[in-house]
Amino acid sequence: MGSLARYIALRAALIVPSVLILYTIVFVVLRVIPGDPVLAVLGTKSVPPEELERIRERLGLDKPLYQQYIEYLMGVLRLDFGESMVYTGRPVWNDIADRFPATLELAVFGFLASVVLGLASGVAAVKGRGPIRALANFYAVTGYTLFIPWIGLILIYVFAVNPILPFRLPVGGRISPEVGLREVTGLYIVDSIITGNIPALIDVLAHLVLPSVTLGIVLGSAYARLVRSHLREVLASEIVAGYRARGIPEILLLRHALRNTMVPIVTYMGLQFAILLGGAVLTETTFSWPGLGTLLLERIELRDYTAIQGVVIFFAFMIGLVSLVVDVIYALLDPRIRY
Amino acid sequence: MAKQAILARPGGLMVTAGLSIILFYVALAVLAPILAPYGPTEVSVPKELAGRPQPPSPEHPFGTNELGYDVLSRIVWGSRVVVQVVALSAVLSMAVGVPLGLVSGYYGGPVDRVLSLVMDSVYAFPGILLAIAVASVLGPSVGNAAISLMVVYVPTYFRMVRARVLELKARPLMESLWTAGLPDHWIILKHILPNVAPTILVVFGLASADAILTEAGLSFFGLVVVYPEADWGLDLYYGKNWLLSGAWWLTLFPGLAITSFAAGFALLGEGLARMMGEERWS
Amino acid sequence: MAQKFNARLAIAAAVVLIIILAAGFYLFAGQGGEQAAQAPTVVIGVTDSVTELDPATSYDFFTWEVLSNVMAGLVTYDPDTGEIVGDLATGWEAREGGKVWVFTLRPDAKFADGTPCTAQDVVRSIKRVMTIGGDPSWLVTEFVEDVRAIDDYTVEFRLKQPVGYFLAVVATIPYHPVHPNYPDNEPAPDATWGGCGPYKISEFKRGEYIVLEPNPYYYGEKPKNGKVIIKFYESSQALRAALEAGDIDVAWRTLNPADIRDLQDRGYNVKEAPGLFIRYIVVKVDAPPTDRKEVRQALAAAIDRQELADRVFQGTMEPLYSMVPSGLWAHYPAFKDKYGEGANIDLAVQLLRSVGYDENNKLKVELWYTPTHYGDTEAQLAAVIKEQWEATGLIEVTLKSSEWGQYVEQLSQGQFMLSLLGWYPDYLDPDNFLTPFLLSTANTWTGTGYVNPQVDELLQQAMTETDQETRAQLYKQVQEILAEDVPYIPLLQGKLYVVLGPNVVNVEISPLQFLIYSSIEVTG
Repeated sequence: MGSLARYIALRAALIVPSVLILYTIVFVVLRVIPGDPVLAVLGTKSVPPEELERIRERLGLDKPLYQQYIEYLMGVLRLDFGESMVYTGRPVWNDIADRFPATLELAVFGFLASVVLGLASGVAAVKGRGPIRALANFYAVTGYTLFIPWIGLILIYVFAVNPILPFRLPVGGRISPEVGLREVTGLYIVDSIITGNIPALIDVLAHLVLPSVTLGIVLGSAYARLVRSHLREVLASEIVAGYRARGIPEILLLRHALRNTMVPIVTYMGLQFAILLGGAVLTETTFSWPGLGTLLLERIELRDYTAIQGVVIFFAFMIGLVSLVVDVIYALLDPRIRY
Repeated sequence: MAKQAILARPGGLMVTAGLSIILFYVALAVLAPILAPYGPTEVSVPKELAGRPQPPSPEHPFGTNELGYDVLSRIVWGSRVVVQVVALSAVLSMAVGVPLGLVSGYYGGPVDRVLSLVMDSVYAFPGILLAIAVASVLGPSVGNAAISLMVVYVPTYFRMVRARVLELKARPLMESLWTAGLPDHWIILKHILPNVAPTILVVFGLASADAILTEAGLSFFGLVVVYPEADWGLDLYYGKNWLLSGAWWLTLFPGLAITSFAAGFALLGEGLARMMGEERWS
Repeated sequence: MAQKFNARLAIAAAVVLIIILAAGFYLFAGQGGEQAAQAPTVVIGVTDSVTELDPATSYDFFTWEVLSNVMAGLVTYDPDTGEIVGDLATGWEAREGGKVWVFTLRPDAKFADGTPCTAQDVVRSIKRVMTIGGDPSWLVTEFVEDVRAIDDYTVEFRLKQPVGYFLAVVATIPYHPVHPNYPDNEPAPDATWGGCGPYKISEFKRGEYIVLEPNPYYYGEKPKNGKVIIKFYESSQALRAALEAGDIDVAWRTLNPADIRDLQDRGYNVKEAPGLFIRYIVVKVDAPPTDRKEVRQALAAAIDRQELADRVFQGTMEPLYSMVPSGLWAHYPAFKDKYGEGANIDLAVQLLRSVGYDENNKLKVELWYTPTHYGDTEAQLAAVIKEQWEATGLIEVTLKSSEWGQYVEQLSQGQFMLSLLGWYPDYLDPDNFLTPFLLSTANTWTGTGYVNPQVDELLQQAMTETDQETRAQLYKQVQEILAEDVPYIPLLQGKLYVVLGPNVVNVEISPLQFLIYSSIEVTG
C-alpha cells in the first residue's frame, strides 16, 4: 500500500505543471488577441478616452504583463480567482461555483446515457441479428462523427417542436423557476432529493433528457466499440467455449462477459471526461445550458481575462483530478498494474 | 497480397467504404466549378422569392437559403474549405507531431519528460475549446483554421508515435542494432519509422474524422471563412435559424455532409486498424 | 469489485430510466401542475441576461430594463406621449440658464421593505455612481459637478456647463436611487435590495432566471400581474421553442427576423413598436480611396435600404436616411433628399467616373462586419451590401470579419475602410445620435477620422441651447452636412417585437424601449 500512496502523491504532483502550462498558454493567447475587456464593453459607446484609461487602471491592465501573470497566479494559489473584468466587483469564483454544478450534472447524465447506449448497441453489435446488428456496428464505428449541434437540433425538432411523443420535452435551461427549488449544493438533482421536492426532481430530470441524450448518442459509440470488442474476445475464449459445452445458457454467458468489460469502461471514463467537457460546450450552446462552456464562450467574446483564466485553470485542474481518480481506481481494480 | 482480396480481409469493407466517401468529397472539391449547378453566392431564384428559404424543387434539389443561394451548390463549393483545412492540418500535425514523437521517444531523458508533459496537458484539454481560442487569435481563414487544428492534433500524433517507439525500443532487435554501432538517425529512419508508419496511418484516419468535427465547430462559430463564402459549418449555423420555421433543408444537408465526411475517415481509420489486427477500443 | 460496480451501475441506469419515464407521464398528465390561485404569474423569455444588478456598474440594455422596472428615477417617459414626466420628482426647475437643476421629490416613495426614499438616498446613490466609477459613471461625471440634498425632499444638481437636455440624462439608470443597503464605495453585482420602483427582486439565479414581485409600498399604480419571471435563453431558437412549448408567456428580445415572421404566420399575436436602434456603415475619411467625397457619396447612393430590410431582415427593420432615427423630434431624412429612395445606380456611376474609376479600373473597397454581436443576420447584411455595390459594375468589394473583442479595437484604431456598426441611445435626445459620431473630440472611437469645425460649432451650440425649435434647426443643418460629407452611411432602423402567448392580453413598451412589466396582463 505504501507504493500506492507514493503513486498517488506523484500523480497528484503532476497536475500542477499541467495546470501551469495551460494557464501560461491561455495568458499568452489572451494578451496576443487584439482587444481588451474595457473596449469590448465600452468600445462602441461614446465614453471619453480618459475614462477608459481610468477603468483600465482600476482593473490593473496598466501593469506590466509579467506582473499581471504572477499576481494572478499568486491569487490562484490562495484560491482567489480574481474579480471579473467586465462584471465589476464580481468574483470569478462565484461564476465558476454557479456554473460548474450545471456542467457536472450534464456530464454525469451524458455519461450515463452514453454508457447505457454503448452497452445496448455493443451487445447488439455482437449478439443482434441482421439489420440490427449492422446498424449497431455502424453506430459503433461512426456514431461519434455526428455533429453535436446538428443532432441536438434534430432531437429538439422531433421531441419538442413537433413532438412525436404525447408530451413535449423542455428545450433549454435546467429548471423551471416555478417549481421553487431551494438551492443547497447547486446540483439540482441532489437538491431536489434532499429537500424532498418531487415536482422539482421531475422537472430537473425532464430538462436533462435532451441534452444528455445528445451527448450520449455522440459519446456512446466509443463505449459501443469497447463493449463490442471485449464481448467478442470473451465469448470466443476457451473458458466460455467450455461453459457453452456444459450447456450454460447464452444469457448467463453474456452476463459473465459484460462484467469483464467494466474495468476498461471505468478506465475510459477518465479519458472521456475531457471529451465530455468539450462536447458539453456545443451541447450547452444548443440547449441554453448555463454551464462552464457557455460561460467561457461568453467571456471570450468580452475578453474577460480573469474569468477566462480562472475557468481554464479550473478545467485543467478538474481534468487532472478526474484522471488521477480513475488511475487510482484502475490500479485498485487491476492488481497487475505496478508503478 | 492479391488485389481482389482487400474486401475479404478484416476491415477491408470499411476501408473501401471510407476511401470511397473521402474520394467522393475530394472529387467534389476539385471539380466544384464543373459540378456545382450555381455559383456559391449566385441569387438563383427570382428576387421576389429571395428573403425566404425555398424548399427543394427540381431546379434546386436541396432547396435555397433566404438570400436565394442554392444549397446543393453551396455544399459542393463548401467541400473545398473542409477538404483544404483538414488536409492542411493533417500534414502540419504530422510534420510536427511525428518527428517530435520519434525523437522524444527514442532518446528519452528530460526533454522527453517535458515534451510529454506539455503534450499531455494540451491533449487532456477539450480540443474544441483550444481550437476556438487559437482561431480567435489568428482570425478567420483556411490557413489559420488549419493551424488551430494543428495545435489540437499534434499531441495526438506525438503520443501515439512515442508510445509505439517505446514499444519498439523494448524489442531485442534494437539491442543488436545498437551493439552493431549503427548511427541513431539511421536506426530511426530505417527501422523505427517503417514500423511506426501503420500507426500513423490509423491515427491519420481517426484524427482526421475528429478534425472534421472540430473544423465544423470552428466554422459553426464563424472562425474559418467569411460569409458569404460557402462552408458547411457556417451554413449549418445560419440554417439552424430557420429550422423551427420549417426550413429543415438548410440544416439537414450541411449536417449530413459534415457527418458523412467525418464518417468516411472514421471508417478508414477503424478499417485500417482492424487490418493490422490491433482493433481499437478507444 | 468489478462485479459490484456492474450491479450498481445497472441499478442506477434503471432508476434513471424509470424517473425519465415518470417525468414524461407527469408532463403529459399534469402540464405544469397546479396553477397558483392568486394574481397570475407572467413568464418572459429573453436571449439577454442580467449582468450586474447595480446601477453604478451595469451598462447594457437588458439589465437597464430590469432595473427600470425595479427602481424609480426622478423623471421618466410617459408611455403614451413620449414626453418626460415626473416620477419620484413632482416638479423641477432649471436655474442659471440650465446650469443648476432643482428637483422636488414626492413624500410617499418607499423601498420594498418600507424604508422611505428621500433626497439623501438620491444624492447618496448618485455620489456612489461617481465614486465607484463603473462603466456608466460617465453619464454622471460628464455632466454633474455636484449634487446635494437641500432638505429631505429637494435635490439640487450643479452641472459643469449648461445642458439643455439634462432631463433626458437624469432619466437614465445611473441616476436612480438605490436602497441604503448598497455599500457606498463598492459595487454590488448580485444585490437584490432594489429601489423604489413597482417591483422588488425576490430571486436572482445568474444565467438562468430572475423573479420579480410587486413592491408592496410602491406609490404608483399596482402591477397588473402578481409575479414576473424572466428566463434567459441561449438563442433565438431556444426562446421561440420555449414560447411554442408554452414554457413562457412572452418572447421578448431578441428573436431572429425569421422567427418573428414565422410565429406571425402561425397566428401568434406579435406586437410591433417603433425602435430607436440604428444600423450604419462607418466610413474612414482620412485614407484612400474613401478620403474622396465622391467615392463616399457613390457608396451611399448605391445602397438600396428597402432591399436590405426585406431580404435580410424580413421587414423587421426599416430604411433609415439619417443618423437620427425617425420618431425622434429632430429627424430629417437627409440621405433620401440627396440620393433618392432606392439604389441610385446612375448617380453612383457618374460620381465614380468623375474621379477616374471605370470597368477596367474598379474601385476596390473592404467592408468589415462582426458576425455575432448584432445577431445572426450580420453576415447576410454584409453579403447583400456587397451585391448592391457591385451592381454598379465599378466597385469590387472584399468582405472581412473579426469577432467582437477584436473588432472594437480595430475600429477604434481606424483600421477599417468601411465597417458595419449599430447604436443604442444612452439617453433620448438627438444629441446622442449626432455628437458621439460627428463632434471631432467625441468621435475618435469610430475611427472615421471625420473633423468638420462647422459641425463642431453647430453641435456645441445645440447642446447648450434650451429652445427645442432652435435646436431642431441646428440639427437639421448638421444632418444635411452629414449627407454631403458621408462619414457614415445610415442604413436601417430597428423595430421592436414582442411575441405573445395565447393567454397574454396586454403589453406596453416604454419610449426608452424597455418592456413595462407592470403592464403585462394575462388571463388565468
